[in-house]
Amino acid sequence: MTRFLIQLALAGLFALPVHAETVLIKGGKVYTLSGIGTLAEGDVLVRDGKVQAVAPSINERADRVIDARGKVVTPGVIAPQSELGLTEISAASATNDYAVSGESIGSGFDPRPAYNAKSTLIPYNRAHGVTRAVVFPSISTWGEGAGKLHRVFAGQGFAISLNGDFDSVVAEELGQKAYLGELGSQLAGGSRANAYARIETALSEAREYLNNREAIRRGNWRELNHSLDDLEALQPVVQGQQPLIVTANRASDILQALELAEEYKLRLIIQGAAEGWMVAEQLAAARVPVIIDVVNNLPISFESLGARFDNAARMQKAGVTVAIGGPGYGSTHLVHLARQSAGNAVVYGLPYEEALKAISTNVARIFGLEGGVLQPGGVADIVVWSGDPLEVTSYPEQVLIGGEPQSLVNRSTRLRDRYLKPEQGHEMGYKF
Amino acid sequence: MQLHALCRGGLPSPRAIAAALTAAFLLTGCGGDDTAAGKGAADFARLDAFPSTYSIEQSRPVLITGATLLTGTGEMLENTDLLLEDGKIARIDDGLKAPRDALVVNGEGKWVTPGIIDVHSHLGNYPAPAIESSQDGNEMTAPNTAEVWTEHSVWTQDPQFSLALAGGVTTLQILPGSANLFGGRSVTLKNVPGRRVQDMKFPGAPYGLKMACGENPKRVYGGKGQAPSTRMGNVAGYRKAWIAASKYKEKWEKYAENGGEPPERDLEMETLAGVLNGDILVHNHCYRGEEMAVMMDIAKEFDFQISTFHHAVEAYKVADLLAENNVCAAMWADWWGFKHEAFDMTEANIAIVDQARACAMIHSDSAVGIQHLNEETAKAMVAGQRAGFDIGPEHAVTWMTLNPAKALGIAGQTGSLEKGKMADVVVWSGNPFSVYTQAEKVFIDGELMYDRDDPARQPRSDFELGIIEAEGERL
Repeated sequence: MTRFLIQLALAGLFALPVHAETVLIKGGKVYTLSGIGTLAEGDVLVRDGKVQAVAPSINERADRVIDARGKVVTPGVIAPQSELGLTEISAASATNDYAVSGESIGSGFDPRPAYNAKSTLIPYNRAHGVTRAVVFPSISTWGEGAGKLHRVFAGQGFAISLNGDFDSVVAEELGQKAYLGELGSQLAGGSRANAYARIETALSEAREYLNNREAIRRGNWRELNHSLDDLEALQPVVQGQQPLIVTANRASDILQALELAEEYKLRLIIQGAAEGWMVAEQLAAARVPVIIDVVNNLPISFESLGARFDNAARMQKAGVTVAIGGPGYGSTHLVHLARQSAGNAVVYGLPYEEALKAISTNVARIFGLEGGVLQPGGVADIVVWSGDPLEVTSYPEQVLIGGEPQSLVNRSTRLRDRYLKPEQGHEMGYKF
Repeated sequence: MQLHALCRGGLPSPRAIAAALTAAFLLTGCGGDDTAAGKGAADFARLDAFPSTYSIEQSRPVLITGATLLTGTGEMLENTDLLLEDGKIARIDDGLKAPRDALVVNGEGKWVTPGIIDVHSHLGNYPAPAIESSQDGNEMTAPNTAEVWTEHSVWTQDPQFSLALAGGVTTLQILPGSANLFGGRSVTLKNVPGRRVQDMKFPGAPYGLKMACGENPKRVYGGKGQAPSTRMGNVAGYRKAWIAASKYKEKWEKYAENGGEPPERDLEMETLAGVLNGDILVHNHCYRGEEMAVMMDIAKEFDFQISTFHHAVEAYKVADLLAENNVCAAMWADWWGFKHEAFDMTEANIAIVDQARACAMIHSDSAVGIQHLNEETAKAMVAGQRAGFDIGPEHAVTWMTLNPAKALGIAGQTGSLEKGKMADVVVWSGNPFSVYTQAEKVFIDGELMYDRDDPARQPRSDFELGIIEAEGERL
């Protein structure tokens, strides 16, 4: 309806101001994750895509009233790391646009033009409460050309809303991603030190470029290791306007990244941080947030020997801003499982509301996105859950994105409904 | 006592299962019939080649009082006592008296289930850390490597075993990988520390044969310009091998009958012939519904039984056929999309298979997932409820206990809380189908092998000693 009205307005057929449907969510337990706090029973009024009010009781007429008594209301889940819209089937190369292998651009790579809002992963994850996601490219270490990797920068990220609209990219040029640690070492020819050196060289040349742009562009300068595209792409990073995400798991790699951030005045985000608990105080002091995979407690490599379930709790306690991503084994198809991971983090000591923030508020804050809180004026990305949102037996009953109620149908539910009672014959082909 | 899921259709009642401790029954596993034993005189399974040296002596009786029991046989018993004695489930009742010297566990507010059984794991053959020298799970050198036995790859010091134990896993099947049409033999282990893999081997458990459908074999060998490069190439590969195995089996049967010069042993053929005579169970990596249907026809053509389809993402499409053919399906709660054959995922998969009266179970194939099989089962249970099925915890628990025991051919010994079965038991902090619930105490054959409250009863592998701090443990 809203979109219909907007289209009419755009067509000039409608001179009046546009009013979206108003929605009143009544009687739920409301975690605002904002200064308003938590309401044991409260109402949320949504107008024009925004939260208009959150209060114990709101008596206003609304186009749609959602009875949330006995339910739990939270901001939508925000995935801090995904390839949503850039992949359909991991092992079907033609459906993947998030990684380039071999010799190619590095920091200049921006996968945004490849974004597909109609990916089946979007309605599926939306039905599980994910309303926004950060999308970043990565570097493929297999396939053709993988043998001659030499880049440690993957490129730039963007953010999307999961409403499935063609215009659902909500933020571009969100940051830059680079690799330290084992993967960085592999990409840089066999040593972490070289991965570090490559990042440092790129940043240093980006600075050089910043201070000598004219001369360099005229060709009146020494030969640089990076293309002008790459150096342009790094400008917001060296000027502290864009974060640099660095993957690092071993405690010593994390400290090395902190040193780099200090030297270049970077807005650093550590992704991985399996041994983050060992250097939690340093991370907190440097105000560097982390994106972690809570359930990966395996000493799966020599850089994550210290992996443990209470990593999130220990870092949060030390003052680190923690964002929880989906489990690595699930890849981007299952980014919604971040909430199961957050539940696991609670079991191992992360305070409950901190766990909710780790899959919403903190992600929004780290990347400068809207959402992650319920407060007047904020974007109305809201989930009404059947129960405790961190519990594996709960599920979303209503999902609002930008104030609009979303469909929760997806291929998983379509296939379920077709085969509820599988039987011999041909009729299933006519069951939609 | 009522049995809900299990391998329905022609299998005995739970009482009969508990009673039927004959080798013939144990070896058939899910879907087997018990006519196999005695067929053919040759010992194709070779259970005595690397015999189990597993032994646990329960040091003292254990009485768990006033807990909520999910028996694994379809019952939920509240405020009930459970006595473990001599390594066995001894009594389930109210007001049991603790024997002298018993370890008494106050079960108030706690839930108790049979130990979790994971029918699909690679602990030990794909251990952590995953470095190049430790990737021993997949002999990717020929499409038929039925001659390899994955127990010969198991690194018993894999630190992931103890993590799985903390998740309540007492028994697990280690399988070869899925690159080959025939990947080799699996091994079923008790989740206990061991210097030798033999020290972990589940006594008397039948061997499994890993087979693989679909994308993996055709990609691995097609990519080398070899057969198979298509799904039809896969099927031709299976059938050729079964023809050869049938001949091999016949040769040995004739020898047993007529004597003379013994035929030459062939390790590859031995494993396949072991399937044909019912001693070795087929565990078949197979995602797609139509491929499962084809595999079940191959089993009919060569007169063997498939125990279980693993990673059966599309089992729900052929759930009625699984029930009809008495074949189990091992599934994930929600993994999908990593390849085309895993694209048609529905979270109601396990529930639909179960409701079609086929034998359904959760499985992990993951060192992370294996630590959360109770949570994974919970998700599958709720997906079933949302699909409109009446499935409660007392029933869903069979998906992680008795049904995998059936699939492995060990349901006569473990997988449920029934008198006389192995005392493989987990005491949970609460309802196991909650993300907040933890396994607090894990008993294997009656012995306390993991205690969350006592670091001295939390095993650590050799690898973990002094690995971060010279004087400390890894965790």
